[in-house]
Amino acid sequence: MPNGEGPLPTRRSALALAGAAALLPVLVRRAVAQGEAPWWQGVETARALVGDAVPSTEGITIDLPYLSEDGTSIALGVAVDRPMTPESYVESLHVHALKNPAPEVADYFFSPLSGRAEIATRIRINETMPVGVIARVSTGEVIVAEREILIVTIGCLTNAATYATTDIMRTRVRVPDRFLPGVPAEITTLINHPMETGLRTTLAGDVIPKNIVTRFLASINFATVFEARFRSSVAVNPYLRFFIAPPQSGELVLRWEEDSGLAAIERRPIVVG
Amino acid sequence: MSITRRSALGLIAATGAASLAMPNVARGATGRVVVIGGGFGGATAAKYLKLRSPGLAVTLIEPAEMFYTCPFSNLYLGGLWDFAAIGQGYDLLRSDYGVEIVHDRAETVDTAARTLRLGGGAELGYDALVMSPGIDMRWDALAGYGEAAAEKAPHAWKAGPQTQLLRAQLEAMPDGGTFVMVAPDNPFRCPPGPYERASLVANYFKAHKPASKVLILDAKDAFSKQARFTDGWSTLYGDMIEWVSRSNDGKVVRVDADALEVETEFGQRIRADVLNVIPPQRAGLIADRAGLTNESGWVPVNPATFEAVAAPGVFVIGDATIAAPMPKSGFAANAQGKVVAANIVAMLEGREPPAPAWLNTCYSLVGPEYGISVVGVYRLIDGAIAEVPGSGGVSPASGGPEFRAREAANTFGWYHAITNDIWGTVW
Ligand SMILES: Cc1cc2nc3c(=O)[nH]c(=O)nc-3n(C[C@H](O)[C@H](O)[C@H](O)COP(=O)(O)OP(=O)(O)OC[C@H]3O[C@@H](n4cnc5c(N)ncnc54)[C@H](O)[C@@H]3O)c2cc1C
Repeated sequence: MPNGEGPLPTRRSALALAGAAALLPVLVRRAVAQGEAPWWQGVETARALVGDAVPSTEGITIDLPYLSEDGTSIALGVAVDRPMTPESYVESLHVHALKNPAPEVADYFFSPLSGRAEIATRIRINETMPVGVIARVSTGEVIVAEREILIVTIGCLTNAATYATTDIMRTRVRVPDRFLPGVPAEITTLINHPMETGLRTTLAGDVIPKNIVTRFLASINFATVFEARFRSSVAVNPYLRFFIAPPQSGELVLRWEEDSGLAAIERRPIVVG
Repeated sequence: MSITRRSALGLIAATGAASLAMPNVARGATGRVVVIGGGFGGATAAKYLKLRSPGLAVTLIEPAEMFYTCPFSNLYLGGLWDFAAIGQGYDLLRSDYGVEIVHDRAETVDTAARTLRLGGGAELGYDALVMSPGIDMRWDALAGYGEAAAEKAPHAWKAGPQTQLLRAQLEAMPDGGTFVMVAPDNPFRCPPGPYERASLVANYFKAHKPASKVLILDAKDAFSKQARFTDGWSTLYGDMIEWVSRSNDGKVVRVDADALEVETEFGQRIRADVLNVIPPQRAGLIADRAGLTNESGWVPVNPATFEAVAAPGVFVIGDATIAAPMPKSGFAANAQGKVVAANIVAMLEGREPPAPAWLNTCYSLVGPEYGISVVGVYRLIDGAIAEVPGSGGVSPASGGPEFRAREAANTFGWYHAITNDIWGTVW
């Protein structure tokens, strides 16, 4: 690491970042070719999600940079190309970073009112590795996909933002001014949060306690339309884009929950027509 | 302050002496090498090919008769240097090294047939091809920002008319105005470049338009040498420069160049008096046309030789490549040009290529007498380019004003040395 300086997280400015090196990306060559077994068989939670299904591999698009020069906050987009009707819709989507300390990154739960099974977020990736996703459809269909990302830190860059944040639990939201009935439109959200993994130690060797946002809920007129569960591999300042397709006007309530029990709430009018 | 160079006479004398002094000139290699692009990577490769192997026929294809360097274009934008001072010509490559210079554009390359066609219609064959086409903008990446919009909200990320347009706008801006810079996500040409530009524009404002502001809207949450830049900004410019990170809604998603207004991800609309949009980038288009890029828009290369993975025998260097951890810098392009010249000569002589090593230093000026740097040394380790552990680093936080002044002097020294090395310019 040529340098690890930059603004420290304000809440923890007294702490040294020695332990951070464990989570900063290091130069790693392209992963050697995987064996014959599909990736999800090697991850317990993934295996449970697939269950007895014979997974299909068509219909998921993973949008991930080919190479990232900074593994601390990588843009990830996943879109599942399936109908979203009460009869058949994508129920959930699960993201795994296969070589992170814990491979589970996040889970997303959709409803027919999501309109579109598509999310965008930012994740932490320790080293060159495949990212694997699993989608479960209400009909019982399971779809899996994977994509590799190369992580090579670059000489001229610094990795200051791994945990850097201010105004913790401050939220930002963008909601379209107007919806067409039943037509999916995008909601963009961000909450300021360090997403402390619990894997860092101070110079003195004390573990910095884990402290993350664990859950995000979106409801319209008290009915949940979308939910997400975050783990430590979601990047600092959790960012999330998803779709809703409200049939009529109402109120959108967004709620973020921290592992301490703290929550943040945003309310926005939904205007349909 | 303006810089002029020494007379043509001094110029010729100095480089003539340099070429006489060149040691161990190889005899063996013959053949024709074509180099596309007369910038930092290409002009270096052309010169060093002829230096190592004068028997080679080396043709350099470059549309511009005068190459204006991006390095130090920020000094021009800040009113510290004349535009002419960053212009580099090709006369010495022609007269002293025997490089054939063709001022034209490569339109298509057939890597299987080893031929290329120029805009003027000529067709050339080659034994080895070097490509250092730099970058092109991704005109489809940022809503509202296309080539027409760049005439109102310049990127100035290739030095030339765009840079002059931006300077004219800064000069015309009334005091109390806001200079808004839209900075891209990684990867892009010159990671510290936007922040050096913000610094030198602030330096200009401080002297001439002290009530003005510099606002950087960034698609990133961190940037190159960030702590050193922000220290320097508060020391030299107080709160004149404001940086808004992506997480603080700094990411611009739409540009209205007519209104000089940008819209951020969470819907803020921000108006500028002068608007500089540095859009996402990709390898120079010719790399795409030659089929050398992958889905990232950049060219994957074999790290040992810098041959394109898609076409062995075509050597690609500079910003167009995926050479991480080496950054997209002129310094790195120059280092790669030398390594590639050695590889090609070895290849044509039937020898193994020498073991490569590269050095990079990214110097930046926070003010005319306030320099900062980050250094890296790179080698091949297990077949990949890797930074030599403990080899480099960023300027220390503790450096006092004298230290910063020395680094500023080094920055000027670097520019003089590299333009002399590549184009033979004498200062
Ligand atoms: C504002 C700014 C400041 C910078 N400051 C520094 C600095 O201080 N230090 C540093 O090391 N780097 C700096 N850089 C980065 C540096 O400019 C680039 O890394 C460097 O120019 C890359 O060299 P290159 O050979 O890849 O491309 P270039 O130098 O851009 O050369 C590419 C050449 O190829 C030609 N070309 C393109 N297509 C064709 C074609 N089809 N046919 C023929 N010719 C073609 C172009 O005309 C151009 O002349 C800065 C960049 C910017 C924008």
